[in-house]
Amino acid sequence: MASVVRVEPSDDRGRLPAQFPAWIPIVIFIAPAFILYAGFTLFPVLKTIYNSLHVMKPHNAVEFVGLGNYGALLTHDDVFWKAVKNTAIFALFGTVFDVACGLLLALLLFAKIPLARFWKIVWFSPVLISYVVVGIIWVWVYDYDWGFVNTGLRLVGLGSLEHAWLGDPHTALWAVLATQVWKWAGFNMIVFLAALYALPEDVLGAAELDHCGWLAKLFYIILPMLRPTVVSLLVLSFVGKMMVFDVVWIMTRGGPLWSTETVSTYVYKRAFDWNTFDLGYPSAIAVLWFAMILAFVALLIGLLRQRDKMEY
Amino acid sequence: MRKIAIAGALVLALGGVFELSQKPQEEGITLSIWSHEADELAKVAVRERVAREIERTHPGVHVRITWYDSEGLVVALKTALPAGQGPDVFYIETDWSDLITDGYVLPLDNLIDWGNIYPWARQAWINDGKTWAVPQEVYTDELYYNKDLLAKLGFTLPPNAQFSQEQFLDLIKKARASGVTPIVQGVGDRNYPGAYLLTQALLHKLGLDDYARLFAGHLSFEDARVEAVFRWVKELVDAGAYPKNFMTLKLGESHFYFYQKPGGVMLPMGSWYTGRAFVPVDEGGQPEDFPLGIMQFPAMDDGACNECKVRAVGSSFAINAASPNRQLAADYLNAMSTLEIGEFWIDTVHLQTAVKTQGIPASAHYPGYYPALMARQQGAKYFGGEPTDFLEGACLDTYVQVINSSFPGGLLSVDEALRLMNRGCYKD
Repeated sequence: MASVVRVEPSDDRGRLPAQFPAWIPIVIFIAPAFILYAGFTLFPVLKTIYNSLHVMKPHNAVEFVGLGNYGALLTHDDVFWKAVKNTAIFALFGTVFDVACGLLLALLLFAKIPLARFWKIVWFSPVLISYVVVGIIWVWVYDYDWGFVNTGLRLVGLGSLEHAWLGDPHTALWAVLATQVWKWAGFNMIVFLAALYALPEDVLGAAELDHCGWLAKLFYIILPMLRPTVVSLLVLSFVGKMMVFDVVWIMTRGGPLWSTETVSTYVYKRAFDWNTFDLGYPSAIAVLWFAMILAFVALLIGLLRQRDKMEY
Repeated sequence: MRKIAIAGALVLALGGVFELSQKPQEEGITLSIWSHEADELAKVAVRERVAREIERTHPGVHVRITWYDSEGLVVALKTALPAGQGPDVFYIETDWSDLITDGYVLPLDNLIDWGNIYPWARQAWINDGKTWAVPQEVYTDELYYNKDLLAKLGFTLPPNAQFSQEQFLDLIKKARASGVTPIVQGVGDRNYPGAYLLTQALLHKLGLDDYARLFAGHLSFEDARVEAVFRWVKELVDAGAYPKNFMTLKLGESHFYFYQKPGGVMLPMGSWYTGRAFVPVDEGGQPEDFPLGIMQFPAMDDGACNECKVRAVGSSFAINAASPNRQLAADYLNAMSTLEIGEFWIDTVHLQTAVKTQGIPASAHYPGYYPALMARQQGAKYFGGEPTDFLEGACLDTYVQVINSSFPGGLLSVDEALRLMNRGCYKD
């Protein structure tokens, strides 16, 4: 028969020996995450800031230029300012359209429209498609000759409105923006839907007992209670659009005449398309833009911060 | 006993020397090659054939070709080479000259048997007195056309295969009036096709030297001859020369548009047209009975060199300056440049090559094509390279936005286009 040794718990169980400093386990637990963060986030950010102060030459040769890249960027670069303007339009209108469309679709589903489950899948499915595929599909949709938009216009007798949507500097940015909204509205819809179903039923029920109409219920009860969700989605959407690259690159590459050039596509072009190895100037653009995004997000959160907490 | 030991040691030592001399020097070596043009199966077949040949002649060596698309390869090279992680051999184009100036390419003058390469093709890679890459593909800019459609529109090609400015404008107008797209071209995914007509017209008008000065920034775009060319091209554009979906039509789609559906009269393109056209119809190739013709780009009134053409070196290969397998890499490039491979290239890719070949090999599927292409080279004077090969920075960006897309796309007036080009490119 095997003997069983019973170990009595001591007073200092779970504690480290006295000679073992308390900070050691803290370091051990934090180290893996910190190493990953430092290697893949902190170092690239610091390196980019370092690069932005230099002209990069082959074989890691660098020439310190101080704020020279920033000076040139802010004073002599027309394309950069065009890219800033386009990105600002994209971020501002894209964010509003994205969130508004997502909310509208979620409300339709919340109101239990016919075939709600079907529509939920249909509206959400663009989120699951990669940007490359989305871009290619929408270039076809906008094609002058055989695209869905112009073909549709011709079919309904509005052929005079057919247009080279991506080929005209006046419409190209809005055409890309519509693609972006099409892709992301479904994501916002799902988040809003979850928030709608989490609303307290007694508040909504009380409103109905008070004969509150749909619009009044929406504006005076639902939307105020969705405010935290709206703020989160606005910030997320805004940050994403300030960095927009892939959909623009696939659909227009910043053309025609820089009318869809965004800051991200411009950084890429300066880094890889200009037949130069200098990563200093594009790094300066990236750093400046990073600072601007931070400032805008802080501003946005400040503006949308809820001063009085809602109780329900 | 001591003698036996010495004899034994000698035998072992000799055996070791013998073994060393027998052992292939490159045993266990993998020669890594990064190449573009994965989608052009005929070119893939040529390069893989050379790889297998190297493996046969160098026992123990494995040749691994990694296939990229053009953009992916540029990004991979520009990140891998500075990090010392590049391949031994890599595909290179003449507009990637920054790889050379930045020291990532090995000079090849003493490593390659240049007797097999046309001197002018080698010349395209000579910079600072050194040769930096081995050209494999060369091409000329050509104006392909549909013979039946041209005849249907009532036009007959002159004996020199070159229309005048006036005739060409008339052709554009008649084609558009009959509901046919005159010039099939799109810039949806490339930075050069929209520039073919304008740059060829500039070359004819200015001649070799002034054309070079224009793009080197030493001749103003407001020069009267340049302006005249822009005004003529603007007339073509306004007459509906290009498809309405010019801005979004992709290169591959423009081929299909030209020879399949909906069809068009002309397609300006590098002579690497064959890479997409001479494949089976169900893979997007042209129908076997397609009435393909090649005409010269139109002559300019008072043109300084209407016989001038653009000839450029296309796909080429370089050796990484940091490669530990330089001789083996050079062996691969030499094997790529033999007469046998050159003829195999022409026969299967249907495209000019930098390798000296003897005559024109007979092709089973497109017997008349290569002789017709050669006929268009008679008496030609050549300018080496496309503007995108040698422009850089803001000038390149402006060229792509203005000359490649917005001007032929009808978005800019002549004055605005000239102003933008001068702002981007003119240095004096």
